Amino acid sequence: MMIFQQLGLALVLSASCAFASVGDVLDRIPIQDGGRIKPFGTFAQESLQLIYGKRVYENKPASEIIFTWVLIPEHWAQEPIIELRHKGLKEALKITSDDRYYSPQSLFANPRLQLIVQELQSVHGKGEKLNPYFQAVQRLENQLSLFQGIRTGQSLRLVPNPSSSAWKSATELDNDMRDAFARIGKGFAESIANGGTEVTPDLKEAVDAFIAKAQAQAPDRYADMGKIDWELHLNRMHPFRWAWVAYLAGLIFLFAGTMISTKWMDRLSWLSLWAGFGLHLYGMSLRMYLAGRPPVSNMYETVVWVPFGAVLFSLILYFFQKNRLLVACSSAVAIFCLILSDLSPTVLDSSIQPLEPVLRSTFWLSTHVLIIAISYAAFFLAFAIGDLVLFYYLRGEEKYAEQIRAGVQSIYRAIQIGVVLLAFGIILGGVWADYSWGRFWGWDPKETWALIALLGYLALLHGRLVGWVKNFQLAVGAVVAFSLVIMAWYGVNMLLGAGLHTYGFGAGGVEYVATFVVAHILYVTYVSALRYPIGKNRT
Amino acid sequence: MKSPFRRIVHALASLRLAVLIIVALAIVAAIGTITEARYNDSEMATQLVYQSPWMYGILGLLILNLIAVMVDRWPWKQHHTGFVMAHIGIISLLLGAWVTKEYGVDGSIAFEIGESRRIITIKDRGFMVFASLNNGNLRTLHEGPADFIRHPPTEKKPYVVPLGSSVLKVTDFYPFAFRESEILNTDSQTDGPAVRFQIENPHVNLTQWIRFEKGKVGSELDLGPAKVVFAHDKAPEPSGRNEIIVVNHENSDKLDYFIYSKEKQLRKKGQIRQSETIETGWMGLKFRLLRYLPHAIENIRYTAATYATPMTTSAILVQFADKKYWVGLDSPFTLRDGEFSYIIVYGHRQISLPFALHLLKFNMGKYQGTQRASSYESEVDVPGRGRVVISMNEPLKEGGFTFYQSSFEQNERGEPTISVLSVNRDPGRWIKYFGSLLIVLGAVILFYFKRVKWIQTQKRSPA
Repeated sequence: MMIFQQLGLALVLSASCAFASVGDVLDRIPIQDGGRIKPFGTFAQESLQLIYGKRVYENKPASEIIFTWVLIPEHWAQEPIIELRHKGLKEALKITSDDRYYSPQSLFANPRLQLIVQELQSVHGKGEKLNPYFQAVQRLENQLSLFQGIRTGQSLRLVPNPSSSAWKSATELDNDMRDAFARIGKGFAESIANGGTEVTPDLKEAVDAFIAKAQAQAPDRYADMGKIDWELHLNRMHPFRWAWVAYLAGLIFLFAGTMISTKWMDRLSWLSLWAGFGLHLYGMSLRMYLAGRPPVSNMYETVVWVPFGAVLFSLILYFFQKNRLLVACSSAVAIFCLILSDLSPTVLDSSIQPLEPVLRSTFWLSTHVLIIAISYAAFFLAFAIGDLVLFYYLRGEEKYAEQIRAGVQSIYRAIQIGVVLLAFGIILGGVWADYSWGRFWGWDPKETWALIALLGYLALLHGRLVGWVKNFQLAVGAVVAFSLVIMAWYGVNMLLGAGLHTYGFGAGGVEYVATFVVAHILYVTYVSALRYPIGKNRT
Repeated sequence: MKSPFRRIVHALASLRLAVLIIVALAIVAAIGTITEARYNDSEMATQLVYQSPWMYGILGLLILNLIAVMVDRWPWKQHHTGFVMAHIGIISLLLGAWVTKEYGVDGSIAFEIGESRRIITIKDRGFMVFASLNNGNLRTLHEGPADFIRHPPTEKKPYVVPLGSSVLKVTDFYPFAFRESEILNTDSQTDGPAVRFQIENPHVNLTQWIRFEKGKVGSELDLGPAKVVFAHDKAPEPSGRNEIIVVNHENSDKLDYFIYSKEKQLRKKGQIRQSETIETGWMGLKFRLLRYLPHAIENIRYTAATYATPMTTSAILVQFADKKYWVGLDSPFTLRDGEFSYIIVYGHRQISLPFALHLLKFNMGKYQGTQRASSYESEVDVPGRGRVVISMNEPLKEGGFTFYQSSFEQNERGEPTISVLSVNRDPGRWIKYFGSLLIVLGAVILFYFKRVKWIQTQKRSPA
């Protein structure tokens, strides 16, 4: 493991040296933020994401931009960099323009800001949940205070403190450290003056010297530089993006193979699929190593983990059933989920956050969430196959009889796997809750909806035994019942904001998910309406 | 041929019935989660849905169905193993849940650091009336369960308690209500004084009442960075906080004031009258005396809310001798009737443990460089065992009860003050665990046999 790690690091480092830019050099400085130590590059990206709504600013990397906020704060106070889109909040601030960005200066000078922030405090004081308006106020407050914290240096906790776990911010440094920091500023300014792409040796040296000096202040509290480099590697490599590209390539080769049937297409398709699967696994492993926990503690992580499970199950089922459609469907699921996780950083926050105390425990907690999430993967797979099978019904039931038969069989298998895993996961969750809270089952909305999803699929399986659910109904059921999973997985957090599982909460995106669900229900209705005039007795 | 018993069993064992039960269970559970979201309160969902006759009816039918289907398949064959195990497992799980509900205890205990407690509070609510005797003791006149969420009392169907020759009636119930206190001016010499003040600077604007009962030395209000003290006749010693002390005197509309720094240094003193303002000298704060009432009473009002927030409580309307009083949950109310005095309590019921726990210390771990808690634990003294640490996932087992670290409360300075433990005794636990094990094993075996059967049919049919 160690050898692998060092070999990997060496590769990563040589790669980053070859393309080093100013931002790349700054990225490596460790900073304490949000309850953990992270590279400055991550901090800069997360900060820019919050304030500006994007991870790059005019094609410049975040760390360069954020660093100039420290160097020339007066300039940036005038620049429109604060993203503000909520119409109600704009009205409350008496802002009439339709711009997306506003300068910090103009917002700080807004006479109504203080009042609005006080209103927010009083809502907090009452302990009520924030409505979208106050969420927007909260974001604006966070944006402004973070900007202020960066430009004054208070949010830049760069040097460990021998006497406290809280690091010293750039404003609290002793003379020696302040000089070392100023040297970075100087080197940075010179590099930027050079055109911004060439790193002067001075800057590189200044950063290395700063890191060495900071480390010397309190070596046990300082960052593990190996971890810092791995995190930068994860940030730069985007393994999940490459994974969906590979899955997509595999899917395209698969379709191409149905038209021009050659061995090569088939091989390329498999190769791409395995490459995607490997990258997917690599990205998740890296994240697990960096966060130090299994990848299921927030919505983003489950959106990455579930498609992994879907691909895994499709490969296992393929081993028994030799049905390539399975793999195609799981690839589609993976592409969909991974694009989603990449596209919407405000809804699916990819930053690594510390966990609530109740979650910082045991094997059982992680296990029950992992198992429940992976059962959702099986249902997701069944859903995708269901979509495809319904499409075959649409194209002609007799013509595609063989595909429909194989598809329905896969749906049935996938649902069975899902049901066993979900039942097991729910029971494990009960055992864990009993062990750590003293109650086995508490009708918490998250656990209740997991149970409802289980009951939905159990109804399908039993209905098939009775003869109520035939091939067509099973395909319809696989698509419709997945709405229950979406509710349990996403809806509970977004729509029913109550209960003990509230730690997994994110915000927004409800309209997109609702569209997704409604579109599928319409699709199912359309296919059923077309089919039923033909005759009710078909299977 | 079939006996009527067999026929009934066969009808109950119907798989169609099973599907309908499963769907009904899912629908009721979904309604439960919607109810919880609607009221933002899990107790409401529990009372109205999860423990409703509907739910019990469906679960009862489920158990009948599960038993009937096993009887119907008698004699069992080898391939029934998984099916029988899973079904017995579900029955055990439900049975265990019922045993827990009927014979278990599920409560909580909240104590301050240094405090010793043996009383735990459970979720059930009760209604109690005590007579307050002249010697200061209480005599219980009535004690009974108060299931007002499911059966709200109304004018027409009140909850009635006979009290001597007359009756006390509960005629209205707010499941959620805001408790508002108002200070009213009176002429009665037996009522204590009150002041209303405002503290203001460009960042802070606070208006508050502060009042104390006649005969008390005074009362104080902690506002985080500063403290306001209102006292009678004599100023108390400074406490080492930024504080404003206001002192009233009998028969004078002028109040003395003293402003102390953290170092207990007197920074300013003088006299202040209603609607006058003084500069405190810290952070540009102004102190304005808005009202001064030499005699005032505190009147508590409840206004109904449509859902729960951390600021709401429940309240009931009590009628006695043609008068009406609102009584809040867990806030005892004193009712005077001539020379008699009654204490009315609508509150969570309490159970006394066979031993007392003493909270020695509360430790909180934080994520580096933040105020976010990463862990917390209580150090308690257990009789006969000494010091024990209760932390997340490390409960204490003692005398048949299990104590879990549940939550804590902090003061304005972020220091923990109160630790909350949940306490339970669960005689149904092992039945539930047994059921869980059977379900999991049963499902796996069921799956396995299906697979074997499936492979066999695959082999038989030339595909």
